[in-house]
Amino acid sequence: MKKNVLGAIAVVLLLGAAAYASFFIAPTDAKQGLIYRILYLHVASAWTGLTAFFISFLANLLYVWRRQLRWDALGVSAAEVGLVFTTVVLVTGPIWAHPVWGIWWTWDARLTSTFVLWLLYVAYLLLRTLVEEPDRRALLSALFGIFAFLDVPLVFGSIRWWRTQHPQPVVMGEPGSGLDPTMLRVLLFSWVAMLGLMTLLLWQRYRLEVMRGEFEIVRREAEAS
Amino acid sequence: MSLLSNTTVLLGKELRTEFRSRELLTTTVVFILIVIVLFSFTFEPTAEESRRFGSGLLWLAFLFAASLMLQSCFVREQNNDTLSALRLSVADPFAIFLAKLAANTLFLLLTELLLLPIFAVMYNVPVLPVLHWLVLVFFLGSLGISVAGTALSAISAQARMRELLLPLLLLPLLTPILVASTEVTAALFDRSPYVQWKGIGFLVVFDLVFLTALWLFGEYLLEE
Amino acid sequence: MKNLDSVFAAYMAGWAIFFVFYLTVARRTSALREDIERLKNSLNRGK
Repeated sequence: MKKNVLGAIAVVLLLGAAAYASFFIAPTDAKQGLIYRILYLHVASAWTGLTAFFISFLANLLYVWRRQLRWDALGVSAAEVGLVFTTVVLVTGPIWAHPVWGIWWTWDARLTSTFVLWLLYVAYLLLRTLVEEPDRRALLSALFGIFAFLDVPLVFGSIRWWRTQHPQPVVMGEPGSGLDPTMLRVLLFSWVAMLGLMTLLLWQRYRLEVMRGEFEIVRREAEAS
Repeated sequence: MSLLSNTTVLLGKELRTEFRSRELLTTTVVFILIVIVLFSFTFEPTAEESRRFGSGLLWLAFLFAASLMLQSCFVREQNNDTLSALRLSVADPFAIFLAKLAANTLFLLLTELLLLPIFAVMYNVPVLPVLHWLVLVFFLGSLGISVAGTALSAISAQARMRELLLPLLLLPLLTPILVASTEVTAALFDRSPYVQWKGIGFLVVFDLVFLTALWLFGEYLLEE
Repeated sequence: MKNLDSVFAAYMAGWAIFFVFYLTVARRTSALREDIERLKNSLNRGK
């Protein structure tokens, strides 16, 4: 219990430091002024979401190989946490776009790909609600999770290759190209803080899932007797 | 070589089953036709717009049709309880998938080619000069749709609400196919048509990735 | 300081989403703990 509280406090401190860095250490952007600082939340969340989905992918592989339900628990927990971070990306995107361009949504490559990513993992969660038996549910969702993650680079690749040819407002800019070194450092630090948050949320969700699984087993045995 | 012979035998079974009644083919053709006509009500199909939007609409129609057509793929086996018999008859479960996806690709390709002249007439798009390239992109796109669709069909057949679930799982997964195929097809419908090799390459990569995934994990999809 | 409210809105929205998720998990965990207690009690009574 104490470890959890300590961990939570550490994460909060990290996040606070990252927020401070985003506002006071990172330099001002010449073109966009203050608003560009959303980048540190937006992009760090995107990278963290992908990290969570990657963890889910590994857990899915491990389940198919080992058939231990704790890998299923990790798989669904990581997928949900990844979905949370991806939701933040999709929400902060329009909030960033609107003052800069006057429109809420742009079909820019990254935002569109993120939306498809979001849909893929929503489908993953929906699939789970439609299979009753725990082992079958674990296997089927693990397999879909594997296919979904293999699809991710193809989604991003195809949309980036062909959907960025059309003239459209470059809202986010290219965070990789021509990024000031200080900005990059603040961004990386924000990402580390987000990874801390991801670990915290993942741990909480995983514990819940494991507990639920054990509860289900005992409940079924009690009903059977 | 046993994989190849098993697959051929099973493929023969799939084709014979379908051509006996041809119900899947006819309903799919009619469905795509309806979609094409309905789409025409949503915008003014002048020549320019048709060229630009035509390929997108065509592939959307193919995707929707495929997600309906692929429903029966494994449900059919469930209804007649033939899946365990199938599994016992082959050493490698991948043969079952290969046969089904080959059949599905064939059915899809057939319906697409049947509809191409109708689409060309209705939307005034010249297809004859680029026909062989169109067949290539239709084949690669349909292969991708079938590989993913057959795998996901095996998954959704074991869940509730499978009619709604399959499109839900399949359509987001197939966005790369939609993007790439639309682009290649649009380039072929253009005033001065050209072959987008980047797109063709991408489709090949997609097909290979999912074929490999199906080969690696197919047996688990068929577990009892 | 233009757009300050947008930056503020973005950060608030982000933290809200994380917080809501955290709270949901916490709530479900304590509800589950209650269910476990109830199950334990009913099993003990049955014995």
